Amino acid sequence: MSTISVLGLVLLILMVLVGGKAGAQSFLALILNFGLLYLAIVLVAFQFSPLIVTLVVGMLVLALTIFMSSGDDLSSTVAFIASAVVLVMLIILIVPVEHWALVQGFGPEDSEDLEGLSVLVGVNFVQVTTATAILSTLGAIAEAAMAISAGLSEILEQHPQVALKALLGDGIAVGKQIIGTTFNTLFFGFFGGFLALFIWFTGVHYSVGEILNDKIFVSEILMILFAMVSVILTVPITTWVMTRAVAGQRKRAMKDTSK
Amino acid sequence: MQFFKTKKGRWWTWVLAILVGGLLVWGTQHDAAIYSDPIMQVTSVDTGAATKETDDFHNVDRQTKQTLHGKILNGTYKGQRLTVTNTYSRSGAVDQRYHVGSQLFVVVHAHSATHLTASAKDVKRDTPLVFMIWLVVGLLLLIMQFSGFMAFLSVAANGILFLIAILLNGSTQGAQVLWIFGSLSVVFATLTLWLVLGANRQMLITLATTLGGTALALVTALLVFHFTHEKGMYYESMQYVTQLPRPLFLAETLLGSLGAVMDESTDIISSLFALKRERPELSATQIFKSGRQIGSTIMGPLINVLFFIFVADTFPMAMLYLKNGNSWGYTFSMNMSMGVVQSLISGIGIVLAVPLASFLASRFMAKKVTA
Repeated sequence: MSTISVLGLVLLILMVLVGGKAGAQSFLALILNFGLLYLAIVLVAFQFSPLIVTLVVGMLVLALTIFMSSGDDLSSTVAFIASAVVLVMLIILIVPVEHWALVQGFGPEDSEDLEGLSVLVGVNFVQVTTATAILSTLGAIAEAAMAISAGLSEILEQHPQVALKALLGDGIAVGKQIIGTTFNTLFFGFFGGFLALFIWFTGVHYSVGEILNDKIFVSEILMILFAMVSVILTVPITTWVMTRAVAGQRKRAMKDTSK
Repeated sequence: MQFFKTKKGRWWTWVLAILVGGLLVWGTQHDAAIYSDPIMQVTSVDTGAATKETDDFHNVDRQTKQTLHGKILNGTYKGQRLTVTNTYSRSGAVDQRYHVGSQLFVVVHAHSATHLTASAKDVKRDTPLVFMIWLVVGLLLLIMQFSGFMAFLSVAANGILFLIAILLNGSTQGAQVLWIFGSLSVVFATLTLWLVLGANRQMLITLATTLGGTALALVTALLVFHFTHEKGMYYESMQYVTQLPRPLFLAETLLGSLGAVMDESTDIISSLFALKRERPELSATQIFKSGRQIGSTIMGPLINVLFFIFVADTFPMAMLYLKNGNSWGYTFSMNMSMGVVQSLISGIGIVLAVPLASFLASRFMAKKVTA
């Protein structure tokens, strides 16, 4: 058996042992997410517009991740709507910044890997790089939205009549708790991935100016910064969506009692 | 610090952040003087006719040659007018189109005192970089206030440590990469948790879980590597590798999972401490059960976070492979398999941290939790 399948099997067994049915479900979501990511690449290779593919695949990934994890209906729905809003806002931010920074495709550090490959493939790489940046933040958006909405729905459970304005403050408070650790997940996740690149820079003795303007470096740092922006935005947006949802529920409850 | 927490203090910090940031962004547009490489600002562009290109795999692309006229902004040739040519393709995988106003790094060839020619090297990218950093810091201060500042501080502190470790790794020619980053992880985790939680029992339990979970994941991975003889591990597919790939891969995985395991153990253990504070009568077994409950809801999304970070990054190269007539399987092996292995190992760490956090919290939590 190959290493990947054994590791996958170990992960599946551990997830079932620790989380039971929820663990198995999360594992299935992970596999499906991989399928969706690969599908996105194949679709773009078949000349579908990278941005539209990313938007559709992104929504599907968010829905899968959020609805396949255990959580009550209200918090899952709120998390999904909020993360979808964040996704759209993120696209609006990433598209112009990627055009501005000109970090698409590959840099001089990639030339060895590109040997023997044709690079004139007729796919818009500005859009491909934009898609990459968006896809790499999807997990973080879903996680943050779920954490905030779960925290808020717990508060609602304990104090069902909490004022909407107080709920807004609570959301930010929950956000403050998670932001530090989420940033660290992002930081270590991304820096773990870029370790080889950074070692390259010091090994080849790039100057600070060269590093700060290097295509690959700027592209990778922008990805971390986009992820951070999306996590920060998730906090107020999820809180706001939650207050709208609760306001709607209360209105309906009022109507029912007045009938 | 106290001033920072008052309303007026916050307002001033925010105004200051906007002003300083705006000044920095503006500054990067006019900082050519601090670069030693000559920088040319494009003042006019002549665009040639596009030519159609078809490669061996019937991919159709268009290439266009543009002539850029501009002025050197810095160095010995400051003020000289120059003309450079640039070829860009519609796909733009390794080239780019320049516009009026673009600032380019150029290589100047001086044939005589008056006759200069130049070629374009790359575009200047520090302005968008600084702009995005400014945006992140501004948003953090606006929405998260003091906590945002602390979060940023811990990221900045870790960034500096990371840089030191890389320099250390360079000075040992990469022979000790796993040891350097292994011991660095301990420092990273201690520093971060101390900044987030302060020095107390909760922080010690979280630290023990973080280090234990990450270490267990690596040991499991090494065991699996041993028994499967690393079948299907394509170390040669790793990008930018300048030293022995295997220890480098393990160091990357170690760092990648550390943050997520830390995130998770912080969440579980702080919830358990809060629970104990509210209901001191709960027994160790009940605490353990609650911990498992909390952990199993957050582990899935966390594994997803790392999965997307590790694997989405390979999108452009995987696409290029597909466009060059490679099969789906080969494209996966050569581009994504190492990222998937990393996500799986980190996933194992994230899952193992759940019982570990619950166990340590249930045993070593003080009988009465205060504050």
